[in-house]
Amino acid sequence: MTILYDTQSLFQRGLSKLVGNPTLLATNLVEPLFFLLIFSQVFQKLGDFLPGEPGGYLAYLTPGVLIMCAAITSPQGGVSITNDLNSGFLSKILLTQVSRPAILLGRLLTDMSIVVAQSLVTIIVAFAMGVRISSGLPGVLLILLTVAFFELALSGLFLAIGMRTRKPENISALSGFLYLPLIFFSSALFPTSFFPSWMQTISNYNPVSYASNVTRELVLGGLTFSTLASAYALIGIIAIVTFAATLYQFRRVIS
Amino acid sequence: MALLEDIIKVENLVVVYSDGTKAVDDVSFSVKTGEFFGFLGPNGAGKSTMIKTLTTLLHKTSGHVSVAGCDLDKSPREIRRSIGVLNQETSIDVDLTGRANLYLQGRLQQLHGEVLEQRTDELLKLVGLENAAKKPAGRYSGGMRKRLDLACALIHKPTLLFLDEPTTGLDAQSRIAIWEYLEDLNRNEGVTIFLTTQYLEEADRLCRELSIIDHGKLVANGAPSELKATVGGDKIALALKDASMKTKTREILKTIPGVNDVMDSDDGVVAYAKNAGQIIAQVVTSLDRNGIQPSFLSISSPTLDDVFLRETGRQIRSEELSRKETEPFLM
Repeated sequence: MTILYDTQSLFQRGLSKLVGNPTLLATNLVEPLFFLLIFSQVFQKLGDFLPGEPGGYLAYLTPGVLIMCAAITSPQGGVSITNDLNSGFLSKILLTQVSRPAILLGRLLTDMSIVVAQSLVTIIVAFAMGVRISSGLPGVLLILLTVAFFELALSGLFLAIGMRTRKPENISALSGFLYLPLIFFSSALFPTSFFPSWMQTISNYNPVSYASNVTRELVLGGLTFSTLASAYALIGIIAIVTFAATLYQFRRVIS
Repeated sequence: MALLEDIIKVENLVVVYSDGTKAVDDVSFSVKTGEFFGFLGPNGAGKSTMIKTLTTLLHKTSGHVSVAGCDLDKSPREIRRSIGVLNQETSIDVDLTGRANLYLQGRLQQLHGEVLEQRTDELLKLVGLENAAKKPAGRYSGGMRKRLDLACALIHKPTLLFLDEPTTGLDAQSRIAIWEYLEDLNRNEGVTIFLTTQYLEEADRLCRELSIIDHGKLVANGAPSELKATVGGDKIALALKDASMKTKTREILKTIPGVNDVMDSDDGVVAYAKNAGQIIAQVVTSLDRNGIQPSFLSISSPTLDDVFLRETGRQIRSEELSRKETEPFLM
């Protein structure tokens, strides 16, 4: 199958670019650890206000950091495809017999593997710091699936904007602008019971909260069907919207 | 597959951009299989648009095009299988090694395994990059990048190779290296070549068949020697200090027997005459008698620029290869 062969080729290209670029590789893998260490140290005392959570604040924080990093990673695919568009590399591969969808699929797989690698590193370091994942190995797999799906849904936004505007700097500007409030006005880093009510309202509608609640219930235990279903439904809707835009822009670019 | 006589056939091609610019305006021509065919014209003449259209990257507005025996509208995928394309802007992945760039291109052209490994090594050798193959392409010089890009265009053994200004921006040494690869490919591998260029010397040296394009229209067609023969003899070029004397100079030159054609050039006047050497004394005396003193006078064989000048009233000089650029290398 051409599409599988080409997706594999372009996925390998994405990974080689990453591995061959130590700065990018290090920032991707070390960034979550920074968040994990800084927040868990600065806000250590928050654990005293979290009754019934034996792991303290670090156990609360870890699943939120996973979601936060998935969000922060999501613009990379858009930046990459915009650079390919501007450098002429995309034109060059469009002149080959490459399966068109494989161009997107190869990139999406690359980004999802970045967040899976980030999450694994984070889970291992958190484990070393004493965090236990109560749902065990199946829980870890469901965590990885959730972060990958969340990253995928968000990445469509940046792919569409990158192909539309052809300016990678727009993507960085927009992601900074968007993610700072989305992450802080959510349950990712802090228990929302500490928020004033207006912030709680925002957090209740914030997709970052939905995704964080899933990973958190998998780490701390007690995942309910409604948490899982509502998060996957919301992420699914985001994915449909962002990928409708991405496919529209992609068709324009390749035709 | 039966051998096609015309590997490219273009009939009444029109390409209009969405902003209304007519980049290609009712152009018809054909290219024979095995030909080394050139499209010569100044910047903005429509050369890149032509290549992008023929290689399936741009949609044409009207007209009929067939490439490698396939209809452009009906079978773009089949066309892409037979053609190799070297775009004007060098497009390699600077993060990957030279070899990885070429290998990826081969995979995307649906090559596999041992065949691809061998073809990759063979091409790295052909373009002289075997020693730099493991370095990231980002560390390559401009000439090396171009050679790598050329190798990418050849990975799947295309029967028809499109090159959009392949040597623009290269130093003289890299340019000559590219010329030699192309001549070898055409002569020994039977690859048909379609090349665009703004360099007269390049068109003259490489192409056996040439179309001259200006403002989206074809202005002349033929072998370079035939085209040059049509200008009517040797060229007498006169530079004038006083541009207002151009008209008077033209009038005087026209009266001299043997002069076939007289035209304004950028800095003076040119005349074409079969027996330029014999009438040059008369040219000088006539001008002198009328009080016109040229600051410079030369006699030379006609070039493709003279063909362009006759057809369009302008010269292709923008970024022409200057003598200064090529001499140090040739010596």
